[in-house]
Amino acid sequence: MNIKYNFSVEINFTDTYKKYKNEHIAILESMCLQQMYPDILCKIQEEDGFAGRLQMSYIGFSPEIGGLGYYCDINKIENELSKSEYDNEFKGKIKSLMEFWKTENTLYKVRVAYSEHVAKALPDDDWMTGYRAAFPLYRMGGSYLDYEKLLQNGIPGLKRVLTQRKTLATEQRADIELFEAMERALELLSKCCIYYSDMAMELYSVEQGPVRKQELLEMSASLKKIAFEKPETLREAIQLSWLYSIVSGSMNYGRMDVYLGDFLANDVETGVLSIAEAQELINSYWRLIVARKSTWNGRVVLGGKGRRNEKNADQFALFAMEATRVVEEIEPQLTLRFYQGMNAKLMEKALAVIGEGRTYPMLYNDDVNVAAVSKAFKIGGEEAKQYVPFGCGEYVIDHKSFGTPNGVINILKALEITLRNGRDAITGELIGLETGDFKDFITFEQLFDAYKKQVEYLVDSLAEQEEIEYSVVGKTAPFLYLSMLYDNCIVRGKGIFSGGVKYLGGTLESYGNTNTADSLAAIKDIIYVKRLLTPEQLINALDTDFEGFVKERKALQGAPKYGNDNSAADEMAVRVHEHVCNTARNQINKVKLHSYLIVVINNSANTILGKQTSASADGRLKGNPMANANAPSGGNDKKGLTAFLNSLVKLTPEIHAGMVQNMKFSPELFKNSGIVVKSVLQTYFEKGGTQAMITVVNKDDLENAMIEPEKYQHIFVRVGGFSARFVELVRDIQLEILSRTQY
Amino acid sequence: MSEKGIVFDIQRFSLHDGPGIRTTVFLKGCPLRCRWCHNPESQQLRPQLMYKKEKCESCLACVAVCKSGAQFSQNNKHELNHSLCNKSFACVKECPNDALKIAGYETEATAVIDEVEADFDYYKNSGGGLSVSGGEPMLQFEFLLELLKLAKSRGIHTCIETCGYAATEKYKEIMKFTDVFLFDYKATEEIKHKEMIGVENKLILANLDFLYKSAASIILRCPLVPGVNDSDIHLEGIAELSKKYPNIKGIEILPYHDMGKGKWEEVGFEYELKNMKSTDELVMKNWMIRLQQMGCKTAVFS
Repeated sequence: MNIKYNFSVEINFTDTYKKYKNEHIAILESMCLQQMYPDILCKIQEEDGFAGRLQMSYIGFSPEIGGLGYYCDINKIENELSKSEYDNEFKGKIKSLMEFWKTENTLYKVRVAYSEHVAKALPDDDWMTGYRAAFPLYRMGGSYLDYEKLLQNGIPGLKRVLTQRKTLATEQRADIELFEAMERALELLSKCCIYYSDMAMELYSVEQGPVRKQELLEMSASLKKIAFEKPETLREAIQLSWLYSIVSGSMNYGRMDVYLGDFLANDVETGVLSIAEAQELINSYWRLIVARKSTWNGRVVLGGKGRRNEKNADQFALFAMEATRVVEEIEPQLTLRFYQGMNAKLMEKALAVIGEGRTYPMLYNDDVNVAAVSKAFKIGGEEAKQYVPFGCGEYVIDHKSFGTPNGVINILKALEITLRNGRDAITGELIGLETGDFKDFITFEQLFDAYKKQVEYLVDSLAEQEEIEYSVVGKTAPFLYLSMLYDNCIVRGKGIFSGGVKYLGGTLESYGNTNTADSLAAIKDIIYVKRLLTPEQLINALDTDFEGFVKERKALQGAPKYGNDNSAADEMAVRVHEHVCNTARNQINKVKLHSYLIVVINNSANTILGKQTSASADGRLKGNPMANANAPSGGNDKKGLTAFLNSLVKLTPEIHAGMVQNMKFSPELFKNSGIVVKSVLQTYFEKGGTQAMITVVNKDDLENAMIEPEKYQHIFVRVGGFSARFVELVRDIQLEILSRTQY
Repeated sequence: MSEKGIVFDIQRFSLHDGPGIRTTVFLKGCPLRCRWCHNPESQQLRPQLMYKKEKCESCLACVAVCKSGAQFSQNNKHELNHSLCNKSFACVKECPNDALKIAGYETEATAVIDEVEADFDYYKNSGGGLSVSGGEPMLQFEFLLELLKLAKSRGIHTCIETCGYAATEKYKEIMKFTDVFLFDYKATEEIKHKEMIGVENKLILANLDFLYKSAASIILRCPLVPGVNDSDIHLEGIAELSKKYPNIKGIEILPYHDMGKGKWEEVGFEYELKNMKSTDELVMKNWMIRLQQMGCKTAVFS
């Protein structure tokens, strides 16, 4: 039986929005938030150790989860209306809401604000099906809140900060609406705590099991406490930070070992918690993070330079890794930063957990990354120590910088259209710059110049798009919950995207890098050096997906490939990498962003974008996946693990904001207490390796899992910037993972 | 110009041919003909054709360019007679399905060592280095010597894997540049040795003795093939050596695996152990128990 959804949140939200539309944007937002919370909070489930589940409304406000800013999810509403019997009058009412939001939603406002230039270069918003080399994305993704500030002040402490700031503003005859709205948002948060505290008490009264009864009692008490006081125990600290995360729409949880480390140490020391109880509390937190299903996010960062309470933080980190080991899930995306001289127990534990096949923690080498971040972001070394990878692997500076990835560029597609004077190989449509006829390029450098122009045109447009998106969003709302926990919003008295955040930057997701480099290397070798093919022959071969061009394809496949420590191939990879990264990085001379950096992350976009990309000169067939991030194309790394790693470290990390380094290891490398893997990683990191995302799996198990999935639920793989149960992936992606070389 | 030789593979990140992380360079040519050989493509000194029948779609592109008659068609199906092959390898480029491959190529010692050196840091941290295997690397002696000399001059640890069948003088010379000898010991009984391996074992044992007495670092490597060379006499032989040479660095037992089987067909040789499966774990356990009973305490599986 279908239960009718009553749309009360959507109706009230819209009414409130209409009522306050002409008020200050901070007031508008605070009033609208009150229509969402606590209404969209879901019931405490039996397995929950903490309160806090959420179901986004179809119309609402969020940085990204429901949609960008003020959003209205038309597809979901229409789906809902078709599911159940709603009378026509009701349907009409809901349709009028959709009609209202059509031009009032934030995404629409961004789109209509595009300059002619941007609108022409980025006409298509649907990156999953469109035949384009570049797409904009709409979200304010990757927030990392100042949880330290939250936990050290608690709700009352934050209120005091706001009161003082408001007094100052009043004295200066400046606007006070932002602070008032923030105060309301904090009151709303207290209300949510009480809401859940009462719910826990109700559950307590009907609960039979004595253990659960006690749990619910403690949950209720802790929620009541944090509504009015600052947290003092680990339980209270987790509860407050979790509730804040969900109402703010923030899905990455920051340097948790730092902000929870002291609470843990104190509780264990004073006997509030036994070791086992503390572990169970963290395990239970992990399970709640899993339930949020923030697959591409859910980062928890441990270890690394720049932690004020290293000893306590280390202790928390060990508990956290144990939680990941025993909870056996795809979240949180546990991330371990490390450096020479850090407590060795952390790396020991990390390798043990990885060796068991968890894909976590991901390893980040601070000895390389801190300096690289400092250069890439043009910030000081101390601030760079606070770098945190969010989502699939984009770096930002913890609660100091914002860098939402709002553009996608498929540089293999850019090469595809360069070879055809701006036209898409599949549709024939003119979708890029007309950079000249391939057959007229007498030297390889002429072709490379044309490719560069094509990429530059797109990156220019994407950077401008990002600037416009921030600007429109900043005029729409202050994002109160984010702004309260982001430097320097309160001090400046501005919303995060309205001039508040210390560093407003952007990131651009680049895909197809390896295939582009390998294609260019093959073109250079086969067409310009060995002259085995003419440009026309190559285009014919590519356009027919190598049908009847088997020999030609073989020659192209035989050209040097990235990932084998081969200098010709790797030099091309370096050229392609440095060009796209520097093109983005130099955008700060053109747009008002603190940084604009490439990220070579990967979700499953390598597979999805590959479907829209024609056959390529590296021998890849039309529609096949592109290589994952900057990894070699599946199976093209034939020279062994060390050669693969040597190729990886040739791409400098100083000009981008994160690059996913996936590796698939066999369990054999972890034998004898991991002596081989330790040695390999040590050397790789000494040679400049930035990070390692390690999947440990048996190849046979993967093959068998495709045949009998029910027996292989336990196999986790790193797809790219996220982990998954192998059996839950679609076949295309399973095959792509299978194709990667296993060491 | 450095010494030239025929290599058939360079395997980086090699974990089973000596200590640590290594690069193993496989040289072509072998004086032995072990019935269980895992690398039959290594036996001949010259480059040779390999053919994967299951990949062939009988497009007959190879037949069109073959002047020796090795590639031919019968009822429109592709056939290959390895013995006619004139090693022009014109066919290899034509094959659209990678069914044809050349095993072995000529290269210079410096080029090989340049590639080996690329993993220097990995050797340093793991106690690894260069291993030269084969075939029997001593067969391309000058080339081997040059490889080892170059490696040592660049600070790289060296191993050679040898069957022991070469002039003692040559071992004497190569010793100066070899950190560890992976020395094969395949059969104990004289007659069986000749039958299974193709040569007598006198010289091999003499070389082992020479190297040991010259204080060379030696790891004894003993391939064991169930029902072929795992007799009590041979196990006793291994145990005896472990007692005779107490300072030997290690004894590694290499249980037979059938992964080399397909390659026999690819190079066009008859494989006698066609029906042999990879060694059963129980059999392996049993070997170890027997070896220990016989007084060999140091043997491990590799």
